[in-house]
Amino acid sequence: MIVVAPEQNSKAKKFKDDFWKSKDIKISIGDIVETKGDTPESDTPMGPTPKPHVTDLRSWDMKLLSRYEPFYAPFCDMCCLCTFGKCDLLDKKGACGIDSKAQQARIVLLACNIGTAAHAGHSRHLIHHLIEELGEDFPIDLGLNIDIEAPLIRTIIGKKPQKLSDLEETMSYVEQQLSHLLSACHTGQEGSYLDFESKALHSGVMDDLAREVGDMAQIVALNMPKGDGDAPLVEMGVGTIDSEKPVVLCIGHNVLPGSNIMDYLDETGQEEDLEVCGICCAAIDISRYNDRAKVVGPLSRQLKFIRSGVADVIIVDEQCIRTDVLEEAQKKNTAVIATTDKMCLGLPDMTDKDPDLIVSKLLNKEIEGALILDSDKVGEVSVKVAKILAPERKKLKLLPELDEVQNMALECTECAWCNRVCPNDKPMMEAVVAAGKGDFSGFEKLYLNDVCYSCGRCEQECERELPLMSMLAKAGERLAKTEKFNIRAGRGPVQDVEIRRVGAPLVLGDIPGVIAIVGCSNYPDGGKEVAEMAKEFLERNYIVVATGCGAMSIGEYTDEEGKTLYERYSGDFESRGLLNIGSCVSNAHISGACIKIANIFAKKPLEGNFEEIADYILNRVGACGVAWGAYSQKAAAIATGVNRWGIPAVVGPHGSKYRRLYLGRADKKENWKIKDMRTGKIMDGEPAPEHLIYAAENMAEATVMTAKLCIRPTDTGKGRQIKLNHYIDLYKKYYGELPPDIHLFVRNEKDIPITYKKDVKEILDNVGWEPREIPQEPSLMGIGDD
Amino acid sequence: MSNERIIPYQPTVIAGPKQALLVTPETAELMIKKSKRPLLILGPLVKEEPLLSFASNIAEKWNLPVVTTADAYKPFKDKGLNPTSYGVVEIVNLLNDPEWKGVNGEGQHDLVIFLGCIYYIGSQGLSSLKHYAPHLKTLTICKFFHSNADASFPNMKDEEWFKYLKKMGTSG
Repeated sequence: MIVVAPEQNSKAKKFKDDFWKSKDIKISIGDIVETKGDTPESDTPMGPTPKPHVTDLRSWDMKLLSRYEPFYAPFCDMCCLCTFGKCDLLDKKGACGIDSKAQQARIVLLACNIGTAAHAGHSRHLIHHLIEELGEDFPIDLGLNIDIEAPLIRTIIGKKPQKLSDLEETMSYVEQQLSHLLSACHTGQEGSYLDFESKALHSGVMDDLAREVGDMAQIVALNMPKGDGDAPLVEMGVGTIDSEKPVVLCIGHNVLPGSNIMDYLDETGQEEDLEVCGICCAAIDISRYNDRAKVVGPLSRQLKFIRSGVADVIIVDEQCIRTDVLEEAQKKNTAVIATTDKMCLGLPDMTDKDPDLIVSKLLNKEIEGALILDSDKVGEVSVKVAKILAPERKKLKLLPELDEVQNMALECTECAWCNRVCPNDKPMMEAVVAAGKGDFSGFEKLYLNDVCYSCGRCEQECERELPLMSMLAKAGERLAKTEKFNIRAGRGPVQDVEIRRVGAPLVLGDIPGVIAIVGCSNYPDGGKEVAEMAKEFLERNYIVVATGCGAMSIGEYTDEEGKTLYERYSGDFESRGLLNIGSCVSNAHISGACIKIANIFAKKPLEGNFEEIADYILNRVGACGVAWGAYSQKAAAIATGVNRWGIPAVVGPHGSKYRRLYLGRADKKENWKIKDMRTGKIMDGEPAPEHLIYAAENMAEATVMTAKLCIRPTDTGKGRQIKLNHYIDLYKKYYGELPPDIHLFVRNEKDIPITYKKDVKEILDNVGWEPREIPQEPSLMGIGDD
Repeated sequence: MSNERIIPYQPTVIAGPKQALLVTPETAELMIKKSKRPLLILGPLVKEEPLLSFASNIAEKWNLPVVTTADAYKPFKDKGLNPTSYGVVEIVNLLNDPEWKGVNGEGQHDLVIFLGCIYYIGSQGLSSLKHYAPHLKTLTICKFFHSNADASFPNMKDEEWFKYLKKMGTSG
């Protein structure tokens, strides 16, 4: 057995013996709520909503939804979910009575549920496996600087998890809620778009919980960095991979197969003999486990890298993997091993077979690939296969020569359908036509920064069946060899001590905001824009946190000295800090940091106290997410989850295809009323933050909007000046003048940035601005039906 | 393909049975003439010459109030127009509201002409208006057929498109 973390002195007894089965004894242990007297939460009273059911936070949701009304942009006019249909919902109701808005909201809920299920399935698998390996009592200890280990679980469940088995309670709750939420999507259930949205928000928070469980479990059990700002730098980029060595590529999100490969290499003294690399979050998490693992890059690299033939073995686990990976790998005689129940690819289950037998069958092509559901075994089999296969595959690691690419390009009929089916509307045909003349610059432009994210739809449409992705990979090969970057390994949660340092400046506005660059790589114009946005905000003293493909894209940008942003900026949670938090599941620590601010800085109790915490974050914590390439249902769930916590997010133009945004109306003064909890007075507020989820058309718009969405009603005069200064600066940079809505964010003259005093005052005079009262404790609680 | 000009430029944006009416510059002009409160929305794909001039000429010839999206504001302002800047989703959200008073405060618009927004987000915006803004008509004069609009130019190459735009922006 491969040990994935130091053995504990006392291991939990495994109740697996036949005795228990034969006697049909069922043990049911009720929830143990009380904790030892010396634990901090024992004195903490339980808030009003521990383990909220689907409708328990509905009143909070309705407050959000009345201020940030759902904006729908149907992707399809019809519903085709039941046999009454298809029903055309354009100006009509469907056969079940549903209208267009409710149908959009229903699909959003469905997408969020899919995303939540993906994370919940992943996390359930992780804790199941880790408990089996390390025991139920393996402690959840994130080190001396983190006392609030699980801010999300504490707030929603109402308890602090202390050992791995405690996480199972959270997972059971998430799974229970998820079945109710999925049930609501059935025909003839929910009929109100607002209630569908409330359920989507609940699903998003369930997703948050599932992610927190998964990442905490893997951090403590696999000894990943525990909030370490100095986490090691890890090599990233195609150019860092030595294709002379056998190469194992891991694609997906589950760390276990990859971590077991690293363990097997260490145990057998072969760590220098093989290259282990990853694409997407599997890469981030394996490199958190062992910094010798290399990161190929974000999701956008997948097809290009598979086609390059560099990998001798491809390990697929779960989520965001090309479903034709087997077919693609076979073209290059690359062995494929599927490792989870989520993706079996029709392969024979070899889990219980002897590793050497599996190796033999794979090498002799007796099987197309192998399904191995035991990650320990995956380590051994993949290494053995890669070592034998690599010498045989040397020629397959070569792409067609450039003159072959030119000859193929000459076959192009210029029908232009490659351009038309490109989801990103990129000029593939022009690149091919130029290549036919020996000019590969068009291909290179598409290759660089993953402007073409290699989905391969163009190939599907090509009437000459040109292998456009392989041609692109060849034309970009020269560039790929220079792709050598460093990314900081995912550090995990923000430390309590860091929150104590920056809580006040963040809430008061002196640090202008926390920008969370997250999500996938469906970028409108390549990954470089993500790095540019990160750089822009870092230079302006914001804290930039990143996860997943976003974190990788940030690392693919180098300055004149060849340094990446990770090498230029500190990895601590501080002004001008750039933190790679980790993978998709690590996104939980971003909402977690905001929750910790409410708890540590404002002493708000967490347990069962969702609404007060979310209200605090919405009104006080200047954080904004940027999911520039969001594409997946998981991203939908993540964004909807953070929205319910009161954190706004900006998505790229493809994000409009999620069908729903939450947009505020700055022109409707009545929508921004707040209650000052200090005085009990209902007052006029301001559109801060103006939107909860917003799709921007290009980077310029996204950058300006992100700065604006960091404004909060509680900013001090100095803090507001700083925030407005950045908002004005950026608006001027991209729009050439001062923002026309600046008067909405000036509460009194102390808010006006000194640099722009004259110009701002001129606008204020023109619109007849008058100073207004500043609430001391702005809140949405106490508004509406409360 | 014979009907290539009236299949949505990105073919998979087809949303349902209702498709846009294919229009020529002449029909587009008739729609503008008939409209009481038209609005021209200009996106970032027309912020450079010669499209900047074509779009500006159309705005001037028909005396259209202009909204720019993304970062199209500055070039059109510099060109002498007096645009209002909104994000494309923001302006569509406002247009969906029958009570909104329009960019000049004179009442909700009854015709919205799109030019130069990124195709797929533009298509989503048009879909939103198709479903939730029965009080107005949409017309797209990009070089792409937009099936979610009420009326659209066909798919065409730059040369033909430039002629269309010139025609709409030329007096007489």
